[in-house]
Amino acid sequence: MRAVRPERPVAALAGVVAAVLVVLALYSSGSDLGTLLGSHVVTLPVLVVAIVLGEVVRIRMPSGRDTAPLATATALAVVFLGPIEGQPPFDVDAGLVVLVVTLALLLAALVRRVRGRAVGVPLLAARVLGVGTAAWMARSWGPEGSTLWDLEYEHRSLGVVALAMALVAGLGLVVELLLVAAIRAERQRTPLSAAVRDELGEAAPLTFAVAVIGPMVALMAPVLGLLALPVALVPLAMAYSAVGQFVRNRATNRLLVATLSRLTEEGGYTAQRHAERVSELSLRMGRVLGLGEAELRTLEYAALLHDLGQITLRDPIPGGATVLAAPSDQRDIASEGAQIIRQAETLGLVADYVDAQTTPYRLVREHAREVPLPARIIKCANAFDDLSGGSDEPADVERAMERILLGLGYEYDPDVVDALTRVVDDAAVGRVVEGEVAAR
Amino acid sequence: MTERAPDERGGGPDSRDTATQGYIAVVVLLAVGLLALVWHELDVSLDGGFVVFVVLVVALRFVPEAVVEGRTQLSLSSTLLLSCQAIVGPAGAGVLGALLGGLQGRSLPAQYRVFNAAQNSVMGTLGGLAFAATGGDVGVETVGEALRSIALPLFVADLVQVVGNLVLLSGVVMVSGTGSLRTTTLPLLRSTGPAYVGYGSIALIMVVLWEPAMIGATSALLVLAPLLVAQWAYRQHAEDLRGQDQVLQVLVAAVEAKAPHLAGHSARVAALSQRLAEDLGLGPRGVADARLAGMLHDLGQTTMPTGLVRESTTVAAEAGYPARGAALLTHLGFLAGTLDPIARHREALDERPDGSTLVARIVGVSDTYDLLTAIGDPDGRVLTPTEALDRIRTRPGVDDRLMAALESAVLRAEVRSGA
Repeated sequence: MRAVRPERPVAALAGVVAAVLVVLALYSSGSDLGTLLGSHVVTLPVLVVAIVLGEVVRIRMPSGRDTAPLATATALAVVFLGPIEGQPPFDVDAGLVVLVVTLALLLAALVRRVRGRAVGVPLLAARVLGVGTAAWMARSWGPEGSTLWDLEYEHRSLGVVALAMALVAGLGLVVELLLVAAIRAERQRTPLSAAVRDELGEAAPLTFAVAVIGPMVALMAPVLGLLALPVALVPLAMAYSAVGQFVRNRATNRLLVATLSRLTEEGGYTAQRHAERVSELSLRMGRVLGLGEAELRTLEYAALLHDLGQITLRDPIPGGATVLAAPSDQRDIASEGAQIIRQAETLGLVADYVDAQTTPYRLVREHAREVPLPARIIKCANAFDDLSGGSDEPADVERAMERILLGLGYEYDPDVVDALTRVVDDAAVGRVVEGEVAAR
Repeated sequence: MTERAPDERGGGPDSRDTATQGYIAVVVLLAVGLLALVWHELDVSLDGGFVVFVVLVVALRFVPEAVVEGRTQLSLSSTLLLSCQAIVGPAGAGVLGALLGGLQGRSLPAQYRVFNAAQNSVMGTLGGLAFAATGGDVGVETVGEALRSIALPLFVADLVQVVGNLVLLSGVVMVSGTGSLRTTTLPLLRSTGPAYVGYGSIALIMVVLWEPAMIGATSALLVLAPLLVAQWAYRQHAEDLRGQDQVLQVLVAAVEAKAPHLAGHSARVAALSQRLAEDLGLGPRGVADARLAGMLHDLGQTTMPTGLVRESTTVAAEAGYPARGAALLTHLGFLAGTLDPIARHREALDERPDGSTLVARIVGVSDTYDLLTAIGDPDGRVLTPTEALDRIRTRPGVDDRLMAALESAVLRAEVRSGA
């Protein structure tokens, strides 16, 4: 018999471990489920509905990933809730917390499926594991299985409880974040370190906000009852709306840069959509080569604008393909473009990359010329698109790759060509799926 | 609280300065008087909570407020001032307000910092009194009590804060003569009013956590974390907006690389269009549209053959550059108002005034004036301002109001350049 090897071991492992966790929870606490449903007739539906709603109203980050801070914050509230004014105390064990949150997440996944949206099972598993970690730490504290609330008796202060809750919430989120990064790195075939850095870099601020909301709900509940939930979501909603504005504006900036890239296309100097294709290809290669989000954005802008210098040409070069132009013409176009871009201080790096995109790799090797990696990526991506004419017919792709391999080490950086090969071979490599679930 | 520091624009006559200083002195006296009264009437004790607030206020000095397009987004100091009115009482809030106002805005002139300190102090004391007067009490146990004795009085204190700020700032505007009430106070109310609802909710969380939920000072940590995140996002947002402006400059640079004879033309047309739009009484959106349309009116030329563009603007216009420029920008939401003026700025002057929008005619007039006086007419001759004005007056799309605005703008420019 042949052993079945899953295509994506990390994702499969996360799924299996999460499933085991849920089964264990069912085994240890399943018998209490009936009592739980019977005694928390108000609390339970409110929490589940809040998680489902939070999952439906998501926010899209600049990288194209989705986050659901309202749902995560509510899930963490389930982890920490104790006494609730006007309701029976929510003293359930960690297993029940896992069951309740899993149930809510599955319901939300169902809603998404019905509405025709993507449901990522491995990422769902990562969330269950993150919440499970926090629940275990919060509700099975110490050898006697005491909860974080019991810290009050030891230290005579609820402040300590609050700090411990925030800490545990943070740890649970970090577990989830690391898992998501590992799953993403596996799928995009990018280095794990870069995936972790991106995940932390983009998500850290919102994670920080989410980590305190769960404890906030739990700590206000003894006074405000279930009203604590909507009240505590106000500051989160404010953070949410601020992040939303920032994200929308960043998308506008990208559109604006893309407009600049279209000047040469509209004028017939470059092929239609050439800049967009080079930018997409460069981004995917950049991810494979481990560039961070900020570097990727600069790379994207530079790739979009790499042919801008052509607008000053008297006559268009045939097909706009700079790879076929004389080296001195290529340099002139690049430096003309860079000079235009330099009008914007904030785009200084973009201009540098555009300027350096024509330098052959041989000068880097033999004369130790400093050429930034993004510029080497653009050089290679541009050559590929010029040579293949933007077609993805296997014959065209093969011909383009052959020409590029001829210039390997002389014209093009071997590492970059390697990344290009991987990206061209597999359409999933280095691609962010729009609307993919991120950690929270 | 320091949403809008008094403007520093212009030296102004000395009497204005004296009046402003007098006004500041009155507000300071009010602050001190209120504090003394409260101190005398109430049994004031400044406890551990007060010390925590002092630490927070001092720490806040190192967190810059997030300012997006001239407006403070989500002011942490307002939230702190509001919650301390309930937690440490009117006297403590008055002292903290003074500290808060005085520490902020390191770059502001001393007299404005004194004003901010006095203003915040008055707000703190009055808000604290309002909280107490409306039955504010933090020793509650049930939801009903929490709503009645914390939420409602906090809401009243919040309202006092909004109204008080408005009154004190209107005073500054009237006394210093830096603007009219209509253009400063109303927009301030519109922009900060909803924000204060948010501050109220957050203060409510802080007070509930601090007192009845017995978390104490740690609650500040929980409450401020999400707000710091929001501020971070707003600061990024502000930075991106600056970046956006710079990318627009790159679009202009692309035009000038294509048509070197137009160097500086786009910037001048943008400035003149903005001036005309302001003089003709357009709102902030209309003024912005006029400026942006003036800046980008020649963008379409970048998509045309270089030889043709370098021949002359008239030749390029015959080849349809205005429509091409507008087509390039259709999918950019924030430029929606510029599309029509960019597409029609040439023909707007050839039709009757009611045939096209005011912004299109403003950009058309600005463009024509600058082409005639700086770039040269179709025969390559550069006209004097008077000759250019005479020629523009005869165009069908130019009515008396537009002409008067253009003439006064030209006159002012001449006076400024000492001609």
